[in-house]
Amino acid sequence: MYPPKLNNIIELFETLPEVERRETLVNYAESAPRQEPRPNEKFDLEDVRKDEECADKVGVYLQVDKEGRAHLRMSLGPEVQTLTRAMTSILCKGLDGATPQEILDLPSDFVTRIVGAELVRVRSQTTYYVLTRIKGICKVYLDRQRAAAAA
Amino acid sequence: MNTYPTEYAHPEALVETDWLEQHLSDKSIRIVESNEDILLYDTGHIPGAVHIDWRSDLQDAVIRDYIAPDKFAELCRRNGIGPDTTCIFYGDKANWWACYALWAFRLFGHKNVKVLNGGRDKWKAENRPMTREVAKYPASDYPVPNERRDKEIRAFADEALAQSKAKKPLIDVRSPGEFKGEITHMAEYPQEGVLRGGHIPGAKSVPWKTATKDDNTFKSAPELAKIYFEDAGVRPDVDTVVYCRIGERSSHTWFVLTYLLGLDNVRNYDGSWTEWGNKVGAPIEKSS
Repeated sequence: MYPPKLNNIIELFETLPEVERRETLVNYAESAPRQEPRPNEKFDLEDVRKDEECADKVGVYLQVDKEGRAHLRMSLGPEVQTLTRAMTSILCKGLDGATPQEILDLPSDFVTRIVGAELVRVRSQTTYYVLTRIKGICKVYLDRQRAAAAA
Repeated sequence: MNTYPTEYAHPEALVETDWLEQHLSDKSIRIVESNEDILLYDTGHIPGAVHIDWRSDLQDAVIRDYIAPDKFAELCRRNGIGPDTTCIFYGDKANWWACYALWAFRLFGHKNVKVLNGGRDKWKAENRPMTREVAKYPASDYPVPNERRDKEIRAFADEALAQSKAKKPLIDVRSPGEFKGEITHMAEYPQEGVLRGGHIPGAKSVPWKTATKDDNTFKSAPELAKIYFEDAGVRPDVDTVVYCRIGERSSHTWFVLTYLLGLDNVRNYDGSWTEWGNKVGAPIEKSS
């Protein structure tokens, strides 16, 4: 149902007691800068903007390799909240190597399995924002591929 | 010639970062962090600080209301807070949630409360010590408060309506766009389920941020007095109600009016716009 790497992360979180869940989320949040684009990396699509749903600018960068597998990078402004940073790391790692269509078809119910019910609350809806942005860039990519194939 | 105060009415309600760094081991204080970012404390906090969450610690799990007095006593006991402990609140977002927690502590009559001027951002910007070590304190014997002071510092919807009808000071501390009814939530924030936009009839718009400087510290007493007394029509001899969207930004303004300007008749309408904007029959005013 989920890409294997993401599934491993979900299963890991489901075994963690609450304190360790929080610690692991913080560790993921702190590793978010490693998901930023590196010098000279080329992308098929880039989408950098600031939406109302998020407190600061978020950039999503998509590269699809010759086998049709997606590789994601993300950049986050300084005001982005810790949980959103954590989800950025988790999704960049967990979705690496999945196809854009697999990402687009991904149900969002895994978010609460990672974050836990206690941390999902009204003002944490931005937790879902990263997934929405990643799906958005995959949709644009697929739409363009289909348009090119039809031309 | 105005008679604005030249000093804060209760300067003891603020502590500066320098002072706090020198008092980290002071056993008579308890540093309390309260944030919007619910994992921020976990990423590092002021040494010795405990974490109090605005929702899971201060609000009832089922009813939209604050915890009962016995739960408040339990919260204090497990954080080693005694009835005489001086609680120093700080947090993100220019101390919104710190002021909210402080206001909630006052609801239960806890007397010794202070705010760290400038909050978490200023402490961090000054490269002061932070730790991930979660502080543990021996349980206190905090007595169960006799009551919650809802009547004194909290307003309910019918009281906000009465305030509006009586044309008494009603301060809307949300952003100008929310006040005008152009948007129903803060920019950059998710919609929190409000059906109608606008403000309570007669309310004056004084965004919370008006009270702070760029470094999140509070403006001087004369500046605050001009904003609230001269421009917004707040008067010491007439009671005032403040509101925002869920009561956190208005807690910040409540703190300013109560502790920095010395008013003893300010109530926070914590139901705020998420109640008023959905309430059947509640009158709403829009403005350009």
